[in-house]
Amino acid sequence: MEWLIFAVLGTWLIVSALGVVFVKNPVHSILFFLSSLLAMAGIFISLGAELLAGIQLIIYAVAIVVFYVLVITTIPWEKVKRFEGFYKKELIISAPALVILFILMAYMVLKGKFATPVGVIKDNVREVGKTLFTSYLFPFEVASVILLVAMVGAILLGRREEG
Amino acid sequence: MQELGLSLLITLIKVLIIIPVALGVSAYLTWFERKLAGHIQNRLGPTVVGPFGLLQPIADAIKLATKESIIPKGADVPVYYLAILMALVPSILLLAVVPWGPGFQIAGKYIEPIISDVNIALLLAFAFGSLSVYGTIFSGWASNSKYAFIGSLRKAAVIIAYEVVLGFSVLGVILLAGTLSTVGIVEAQIQKGVWFIVYQPVAFILYLYCMLAESGRVPFDIQEAEAELVTGYNVEYGGMKFGAFPLAEWYLNVIALSAIAVVLFFGGWDGPQILGPISPYFWFLFKTFALVFFVLWLHWTLPRFQAKDITEIAWKILLPVALLNLIITAVVVYLF
Repeated sequence: MEWLIFAVLGTWLIVSALGVVFVKNPVHSILFFLSSLLAMAGIFISLGAELLAGIQLIIYAVAIVVFYVLVITTIPWEKVKRFEGFYKKELIISAPALVILFILMAYMVLKGKFATPVGVIKDNVREVGKTLFTSYLFPFEVASVILLVAMVGAILLGRREEG
Repeated sequence: MQELGLSLLITLIKVLIIIPVALGVSAYLTWFERKLAGHIQNRLGPTVVGPFGLLQPIADAIKLATKESIIPKGADVPVYYLAILMALVPSILLLAVVPWGPGFQIAGKYIEPIISDVNIALLLAFAFGSLSVYGTIFSGWASNSKYAFIGSLRKAAVIIAYEVVLGFSVLGVILLAGTLSTVGIVEAQIQKGVWFIVYQPVAFILYLYCMLAESGRVPFDIQEAEAELVTGYNVEYGGMKFGAFPLAEWYLNVIALSAIAVVLFFGGWDGPQILGPISPYFWFLFKTFALVFFVLWLHWTLPRFQAKDITEIAWKILLPVALLNLIITAVVVYLF
């Protein structure tokens, strides 16, 4: 039963990820992106990472994508970059990187530490919160400070001084 | 395998009960709203079709369904249709995490009248509530019309602002209850014997603001301000395609968010046993309907804010108040 759910969600995710890349209209592309985020949330739920799924929906699928949509829908259409053929040189350069990355990730999934489940965690929300605010408190705070700096910088760059 | 089949069957039955009832109630809310609006404005409201105009929603539905289907010139047809789905589906999914009453036993099987009792129910509720914004945004974009598009952009700005406030306002309740599950929050209130509105009155007021903003009700309905935008994002939709938007946004969303508010602040199905075994369900529906009524009442009483005021209120007033409320609650919970 589990493989069926995973197959459906996985197919959905791959199809929408390909859609993001291959669709020419930027708004259609963002719709595929949204669909891939929803599929990802579904996969998180099926793997038992409920908190991650909820956060994925509420922060990624809503808050962040709404910003993308705002930006993309307000771009003047005559300035949108048109399709100009496949980038052959870039394709050749990136192919080995892609293969190496895939092999690395496949190795991690099959043989690495992630391959052995630690045991069933009952209250996902509580456990994630505890880990985040005890073992990983410092990285967590650093990440939030970086985000804050980025936000202040973006406001500074985007703001036009009056007068 | 049999266990799984049985639980799937039970879920299917729940879905088949809740969705038609919710859609029917939403349709009749249009009648109720028009009656209410009529009486608030010293008119009679619908009176002609059926006794007290009771058949008016059916007449409306027939009218909408038989209208000519028009697609505006230059519209993005797939997105134009997809937008209807994107408005309706999250609103219906919202109903999945609403606990309509306490669990009961049938033939040795414990059944909870909630479609999915997950322990991230509240997160899901807010996610679905905000996901419905895509219906608004893409309907405006796909219609290829300036009015519709301005409406969508306004809605997007509102959602971004109020989403944040909504999240922070309910964190206080989550701290008090110690869980994100809707059933768990109601049980915590029953166990403590106090509704959380007593501890969190500020959070409730903030929630109310956000509920109005998310469902696009007055005074936050700038996305469709009739006077300037000729009803905004859905102006290029006709027939039942048009009907789907208010149904999702104004009725389904309001019902579901009111039900979540009842769960968070009014003790869910808690109440005196006046009707025997069905009194919890009665109390839940009664409280939900009272909140829906309050929202409709506001809708026909208040004027609308200006577009720039709405986001300013959210970022400059509501968000600091919500943060302060959260910090105070956290300190109090930690100390006692």
